[in-house]
Amino acid sequence: MSETTNGNVPYIEMKNITKYYGGTIRALHDVNFQINRREIVGLVGDNGAGKSTLIKIISGVLQPTEGQIFVEGEEKKFTSSKIAMDSGIETIYQDMNLIDCMDIMRNIFCGRETTDAAGFLDLKEMRERAMHLLKNEVTIEGIRSPDQLVGNLSGGQKQAVSIARAMFFKNQVLLLDEPTSALSVRETHAFLDHIQKLREEGLSIVLVTHNIFHAYQVADRFFLLSQGECVLDVEKSETDIDELTRIIVAH
Amino acid sequence: MSRNSNAQSGARALFERVHGMKSGNILIVFVAIQIIAIGASLAFPENFRYLSTSNLQVLFRSIPTLGIIAMGVNLLMISGEFDLSVGSTFALASLVMAKLFNAGTPLIVAILLAVALGIAVGGINGYIVVKSNVPSFIITLGSMWFWRGIVLLLSQASNEAFNPGPTMTNVFTASIGPVQVQFLWFVAIAILCWLLLERHRLGNHFFATGGNVNAARALGINVKRIKMTGFMILGGLASLSGIISTTRVNNVSPIQGEGLELQAIAACVIGGTALMGGRGSVLGAFLGAALLFTVQDVLLLLRAPGYYLRLFVGLIIVLAVVLNEILRKK
Repeated sequence: MSETTNGNVPYIEMKNITKYYGGTIRALHDVNFQINRREIVGLVGDNGAGKSTLIKIISGVLQPTEGQIFVEGEEKKFTSSKIAMDSGIETIYQDMNLIDCMDIMRNIFCGRETTDAAGFLDLKEMRERAMHLLKNEVTIEGIRSPDQLVGNLSGGQKQAVSIARAMFFKNQVLLLDEPTSALSVRETHAFLDHIQKLREEGLSIVLVTHNIFHAYQVADRFFLLSQGECVLDVEKSETDIDELTRIIVAH
Repeated sequence: MSRNSNAQSGARALFERVHGMKSGNILIVFVAIQIIAIGASLAFPENFRYLSTSNLQVLFRSIPTLGIIAMGVNLLMISGEFDLSVGSTFALASLVMAKLFNAGTPLIVAILLAVALGIAVGGINGYIVVKSNVPSFIITLGSMWFWRGIVLLLSQASNEAFNPGPTMTNVFTASIGPVQVQFLWFVAIAILCWLLLERHRLGNHFFATGGNVNAARALGINVKRIKMTGFMILGGLASLSGIISTTRVNNVSPIQGEGLELQAIAACVIGGTALMGGRGSVLGAFLGAALLFTVQDVLLLLRAPGYYLRLFVGLIIVLAVVLNEILRKK
C-alpha cells in the first residue's frame, strides 16, 4: 500500500493520523494519506470533514495527536510550518497567505528574504529576481511590476502570486486549500490549466475542494474524507464522476 | 513658454511622487504649515516670533520627548499591538536612574540599568500579551496603572532631584545654535528605526505580522517573537526618552509622562500608521510628532488661550484619521 505503482516511495506519506481538538473533539481518525511525485490529488469532502485539519497537519501548522509523517521514506516531525516548508511543502490557504499592505516582491520573499549577514535586505537582488520570475516564468495578466501592492490585485492575480512564490522556491508539493473559491469562471479555467502545467514540470499538487467537478477535471487520484475518516482513495482510471458524486452524496 | 510648462510638469511630477509616498500626505501638510508659519514669521517678525532662536529651541527641545517614544509606538503598532504603559515606563526608568545615581551608583551604570529596566518592562508586557492572547490594549492598560503605582510607591509621591553633572547634560541636552542635542538623538533614532523597518528582515516581519498574522505564521515567521521584540524596543525607547527629559529638567516627578502614551499613538496615527497594524512609516510618525508640537507652538505664539491646544489637537487627530482612511480607499 505504501509503495506507489511505479515502485517509488511516495514523496509524502502520512500514517494513522488522528487528531483531537481539546482532547474530546475528533477531527481526524486513523487517516492514511500519501502524495506521489507528479501527481494531482483531489482531496474532497464536505465542510467539516477534516480536510483543513489534514492540510494544516501536512503544512506543520497543527501537530497530529497520533500518527507519523514520512518525507521520501524518512520520518519527520512537522512541529512548525518552517519545517514543512524546508521539506518542500508550500501551502496556499483559502484566505490567501499574502499580505495586502505589502508589495508583490516583499510578499514573494516574506519569511525567506535575501539578506546580508546582519539581516539587512538585498532589495536590488530580490527585485531583479522577482522581475525575472514575473517576466519569464509566471506571467500574470495585468501585473507588470513587482512593486505593485498586493491589496490592489484581483482574486485570480493573488492566487497566481501565491503560486509564483511557491514555484520560485522550487517546492515539491503544493497544497491548495479551496483555490477556486475566490475566482471567476474564467480565472478558474486558467487556474486549472496552470496546475496541470505545474504537474508536468514535476510538482505534486493537493487540491482541497468541495467542488468535485473542479477536482475531476485535473486530479489523478481522489481522496474522500467524511467525518474525519477516509471513505475513498481511488485512481481516476478506476472511477468516474457519477460514482464519485454518488459516494460523496451518500456520506 | 515651453520652459514654463516644463517647470509645471516638473512640479506636478514632484507632487505626484511625494503624494505616492507612504507618508506623502502628512509631508505635504507639514511642509504647507511650515511655509505658512515661516512666511508669517518673516512678514511679522515682531508679532509672530516663529523663527526666533528661543522659539526654535523650544520646538527642538519639546519634540524629541514624544518623538522618540512615537518611533517605538510606530514599530509596535505596525506589528499590530499597542502599549499604553509607555508613560509609566518613562517615569519608572527615570526614577530608578535618579535613585541609583543619588545612592552612589556610577552614572553610566544607572543609565544602562534604567534602559534595561524599560526593555524588561516591555518584555513583560509582550510576554503576557502573546501568551494570553488578550488584546494588548487591555494588558497594557493594566500595566500602565501597575507601574505608575510602583513609581508612586518608590518615590513616596514626591519629586526626586537628579543632577548628573555637565557631561551627561551636554550629551543629552546641549544647544548647538537653535538646535538641541536631544533633537539629534531623535533624528538618529528615527534613522535607525527606518533602517530596521524598511531595510531589515525584521522590519519586513513587523509589516507581515501586523498586515496578516495568519499569513505571516504560515510563512514561517515567529509572530510572537516579532511582537515581543516590538514591545521591548518600545520599552527601551520610552526609558531613553525619560532619561533625556529628566536630564533636562534635573528632576523626576512621579506623574511625569502621564498622557504620553496617547499622544504617541496620536502622532503615529496622524502620520498614517494604521490602528489595525501592517501600515505605517517612520517619516510619518516623525512628522506626526513634529506636527503636534508645531501646532501647539503656533497657537502659543498667537497667544491663544491654553484650552485651544487640546481643542486643535483633538480636531487634527480626527481629521487626519478620517483623511487617511478616505485616501486609502481611493
